[in-house]
Amino acid sequence: MSAASKQVTHVEVPRDGVRIRCQGVSKYYRRTAVLDAVDLEVRDGTMLGLIGPGAAGKSLLVKIICGLVAPDEGHVFIDDIDVTRLRERELQALRMRLGMVFQNYALFDFMNVGENIALPLRMEGRSSETSIRNRVAEVLEQVALPGIQDKMPRELSGGMKKRVSFVRAVVRRPPIVIYDDPTGGLDPVTSAKIFRLLSDMKAQGTTSITISHDLDGIRPLCDQWLLIEHGKTLFSGDTSAIDQCETPYVRQFWRGEPA
Amino acid sequence: MRLTSVLSVPFAMVGRRTLDIATEMGGMTLMAGAILRRLFPPRVDGAELMRNLYNVGVKSFPIILVTGVFVGAIMVIQAGLYVEKYEATGFIGWGAGFATLREVSPIMIALMFNGRVGAKNTAEIGTMKVTEQVDALRTLAIDPVSYLIMPRFIAMVVMMTLLVVVGDATALIGGAFTSQFLLGVDVQLFFRSFVDLIHLEDFLLGVYKAITFGIAVGVVSCHFGITVTGGAVGVGRAVNDSVVASAIWIFVLNYVVTTLII
Amino acid sequence: MSAHPPHKPNVLELFLAALGSPFVIVGEQFREIFKVFGLTVQYALHGRRRWKEVWLQAYRIGNESLVFIVCVAGSLGVTLVYQAGLQAERIIGDLTPLGGLYLQILLREFGPTITALMISTRVGTGIAAEIGSMVVTEQVDALQMSGAHPVEYLVVPRFWASVVMVFCLTCVSVLVSWLAGLLTALLAFGVSPYTFATLSFVIPGDVILLLMKTTAYGIAIPIVAGASGLSAHGGSEGVGWATTQSVVNCSLAVLFLDVLLSGFGYLVLLR
Ligand SMILES: Nc1ncnc2c1ncn2[C@@H]1O[C@H](COP(=O)(O)OP(=O)(O)O)[C@@H](O)[C@H]1O
Ligand SMILES: [Mg+2]
Repeated sequence: MSAASKQVTHVEVPRDGVRIRCQGVSKYYRRTAVLDAVDLEVRDGTMLGLIGPGAAGKSLLVKIICGLVAPDEGHVFIDDIDVTRLRERELQALRMRLGMVFQNYALFDFMNVGENIALPLRMEGRSSETSIRNRVAEVLEQVALPGIQDKMPRELSGGMKKRVSFVRAVVRRPPIVIYDDPTGGLDPVTSAKIFRLLSDMKAQGTTSITISHDLDGIRPLCDQWLLIEHGKTLFSGDTSAIDQCETPYVRQFWRGEPA
Repeated sequence: MRLTSVLSVPFAMVGRRTLDIATEMGGMTLMAGAILRRLFPPRVDGAELMRNLYNVGVKSFPIILVTGVFVGAIMVIQAGLYVEKYEATGFIGWGAGFATLREVSPIMIALMFNGRVGAKNTAEIGTMKVTEQVDALRTLAIDPVSYLIMPRFIAMVVMMTLLVVVGDATALIGGAFTSQFLLGVDVQLFFRSFVDLIHLEDFLLGVYKAITFGIAVGVVSCHFGITVTGGAVGVGRAVNDSVVASAIWIFVLNYVVTTLII
Repeated sequence: MSAHPPHKPNVLELFLAALGSPFVIVGEQFREIFKVFGLTVQYALHGRRRWKEVWLQAYRIGNESLVFIVCVAGSLGVTLVYQAGLQAERIIGDLTPLGGLYLQILLREFGPTITALMISTRVGTGIAAEIGSMVVTEQVDALQMSGAHPVEYLVVPRFWASVVMVFCLTCVSVLVSWLAGLLTALLAFGVSPYTFATLSFVIPGDVILLLMKTTAYGIAIPIVAGASGLSAHGGSEGVGWATTQSVVNCSLAVLFLDVLLSGFGYLVLLR
């Protein structure tokens, strides 16, 4: 085992407290930059709000952070480990401390809900079948969906799918969680329930990145903001800075004013 | 109670399969009817037809060439084993050529065509269907069958026929090379027995087969494309069903044409 | 910071691009296939063993393709024997060796290859469609986030199942073709079924070659199909592209392996 692979299995919060760091991340498709030298930092226990119009590259950026897509330029550090340099085995080990809620649920459609949620635990390979079953029941209870283990994903409503996807992401209790549009396409009541879950997670000390178009919903949750458009950073800073930002587009986006 | 329900499973399965097959057969018949109705007098978009002839014919050309060479090589190797055993090297061109022209080349080219063109056709029409582009055509008062399906169908029949001819030719060239370099049978000897013993009707049988295969792949792939439901997953499933149904048709028609023409 | 300034290509560059792009595309696909091949072998030997999943996949392969293969093998058997019989009647006039030779060519060539082509069509497309749909709906990403490797989790069980099932289905297909041929010879030419029930022409090399071919096809189909599925991107277009790619590449792989192994058989096994 190399030094790097020992490092990925051993969780240690970096001394400067920055758990996720991107440095000059760029990605090109057919010679056009869909991400252009993006930098970001997320400190331990805080939440970053990643906002921007559609097709800005938000989903792509978080996939690069998880090592699902390799960037063309730049580096991504999770707890000071360079994700872009890891081999597949090491990435798998590193992902044990990451959770992700996908924009379009990404529930495994050939498995029922219980198996969907159990898979991360099985892959971790630490718990017995009984304790896995108990844990699945427990987390489903927490999101107010008790006893739906035997349902197939296609039988669920959008809000239920989002919650199952949320549960699957956090079932291993990862210290870092990424939410890609957790309330997209949901009614206000269900959205409020989901934001409640996000705030609970934050209260428990998880570090997170949240992508959302529902600014009113995430405004009280996030500490830092990153606004990107066409892959370019338009704003990066904390809530008071974005409140005072004078750039016209940022103001429009932040306050929801028409152009 | 339990036992009867277990016993009924195979019957239910057979029944469901039969119903599925009957539904698809009906759909294919309707599709064939819709195409036939627009064939007399021909109602086809000319530009769309040219584009499809190019897409279907030119773009499958490399794959057909490769397939042809492989088929020729395989047939010569197989024939070579017998020719050597019975010391009849002079018959290699006939042995390999006969089977290639009448059977193997049309079937192989049709199977590759099915994969390259039929599958792509189902995927394209299916994608248009699930992204509501077909409905958009209807609301613009454009007949999807005339606009989308006719050009593709005609292009497929024409190109399947031509590509089988191309496949025959490349198979012979591939076979001649294989016999020269693997079996050590002179190319001239190979072609002499071919020219002496192969008749025009052997070649024509392959061409007739190709026409029917083209019709089958056209109808089947358009039918499965236009009836897709259920997003990306549905498109994948439709392509799968389409290539399987076309392959069955290819083998059944191969049998029918062979017995009818001989 | 624009690393790639816009550039209008001239005619020569366009020409060279058109000439080179097929090679680039083919090269990329080869790389992808060999990458998946390497990973599959690695995980098949060292990864977690999920025999239940292998069993399930084997059942699905058999269940999906049995009827299909019986139909194809039957109609092929009838056609082949009918043509061969007519030809033999005209030229040799003696139909007694027909059955033995037919069985031999079935074992050597048509049994394994046609079956593998049918499995490419039925199962290869299915694998590509399934995995491709999982890619475009981000399920493969979710799988990776759960700590599973897509090749280990999705391709390896299908790989074991396919290696076994291609052999089993080839046996079924040979049997069906042989029976169909026997009946055709009996009904069309009045050939005695006893002349069919002979192994006198079959040599050990034929059986070894059959085993080699079925194993090679069984390995190639899930890997080529899996590679096509995993390289899908975009929505339903991506899935369509992957399935199309899979039929073509699987069939070409089967034909290529057939040329290779038949050549090997000719030079080494069947003398
Ligand atoms: N695999 C890919 N191939 C080509 N383009 C892609 C791919 N993935 C993402 N893109 C492009 O990257 C851009 C950003 O996409 P995405 O991250 O999904 O945006 P967002 O989540 O901000 O709406 C889009 O313009 C999209 O077309
Ligand atoms: Mg997105």
